[in-house]
Amino acid sequence: MSFIKRLLFLSVINFIDQTMSNFLSEFFIIIPLTFLSYCFYVYRSDKNISALEAFLLGLFFDLISSSYFGLNTIFFCLVAYYLNSNANSFKLFSYLQVCIFFGLSASAYVGFTQLVLNLYNFSYLTLFLSSIVNIIFCFIIAFIAAYFPKSINMKL
Amino acid sequence: MARTVPTTGQKLNFLLILVISILILYFDLSSNNFQNIKNGFKSFKISSYFVLKEITVEPLKSLQNRYKTKSSLIKENEILREKLKLSDLNNFITSKDNIFSKNEEILEDLDKYNFFYDIAKLRSINPNMFKCCDKHRMQIEVIAKDKTDNIEKFVFNKMGIIGQIIYQNKYSEVLLLTDISHSLPIKSESDNFFCNARGSGREGFIICKYNPLVWSEEIIKNQIFYTSGMGGIYPKDIEVGHVTNIEAVNSNEKSLLIKLNASPLDSNIFGVLKN
Repeated sequence: MSFIKRLLFLSVINFIDQTMSNFLSEFFIIIPLTFLSYCFYVYRSDKNISALEAFLLGLFFDLISSSYFGLNTIFFCLVAYYLNSNANSFKLFSYLQVCIFFGLSASAYVGFTQLVLNLYNFSYLTLFLSSIVNIIFCFIIAFIAAYFPKSINMKL
Repeated sequence: MARTVPTTGQKLNFLLILVISILILYFDLSSNNFQNIKNGFKSFKISSYFVLKEITVEPLKSLQNRYKTKSSLIKENEILREKLKLSDLNNFITSKDNIFSKNEEILEDLDKYNFFYDIAKLRSINPNMFKCCDKHRMQIEVIAKDKTDNIEKFVFNKMGIIGQIIYQNKYSEVLLLTDISHSLPIKSESDNFFCNARGSGREGFIICKYNPLVWSEEIIKNQIFYTSGMGGIYPKDIEVGHVTNIEAVNSNEKSLLIKLNASPLDSNIFGVLKN
């Protein structure tokens, strides 16, 4: 996938993410769909993701999501580095472990972004609910991939 | 295929990029240096959206309308709807107990009076940021024949005050009352209590903190608050909202939670006061 395609893909996911979070915020839930998609892309990639690419994608995401510059960049770089370093170890893990890892990563992302963007109204309820929902969400994606391997080729 | 573990050089790259990212985040949080880039991008996004809509959806819509016998009715309906929205704004100006209604000249000669505000249309508001985060902003397009400087002009809708313009380009950025960096000078009806209410970062609420030893007037729940006119941006005596919660932080500080009358999500037509 070329870099431009990745940017376009990120924009589309971000649009869905924003539409969805508008509805989910009523229930104190945040699902960082764009971040999870990026994690999934790094995880599934055959090659290591370079630091520059993670930086540029993060910066672009910061721009389109109207957040502070550097906020998503930090997370994108950290995730890229961690997944690059442990890509082979992940192959030994079960679906359950991988789902929990991604769910907790998403929760950490939610917690950190809330600290920066919403410090005055930081809510543990949102963080707690989001953690549970994110883990369940990862399970659902894994189940879909496992039960419909031919139609949806994104097996975890 | 197995992926190779990052080499020392790649690890250093990540470290370097991470440090740069942290520095960028720090600069963006502590200064407004990236604001122009962000506003430029927002303007581009909004313009692109309207241009795309203009060349894709609008021709289809007009084609559909052409074949409809009721097309003229639709047009008339749209015009009436716009007029209704404007009339709502005028109602706010004349019906509320504020400085405008106290000016008898306006009321006596209502039809001929040229209202001293410009109409503005909502161009963009991020409901996610509005509902979740501390930074509450929206983009509006001021529709005025002459290009005047609208910075620090106050924005209102049919329900009341919304915020003030802080940045002007093709579209104007409005700092909403609920933004944590916004401060609104308010007062009680008796003129014995004054306070600067800050945005709470929550939809529809502002917070007023005061020293009860200095301000002896007893504030009760549901008490209505008005703009004090101090600060020079908002006119005096416009109803802002009512108290929903009173919290004694300590013996020297009390905090009032005030529910605002107006929400920027109520309408997509706004007024921008000229002077």
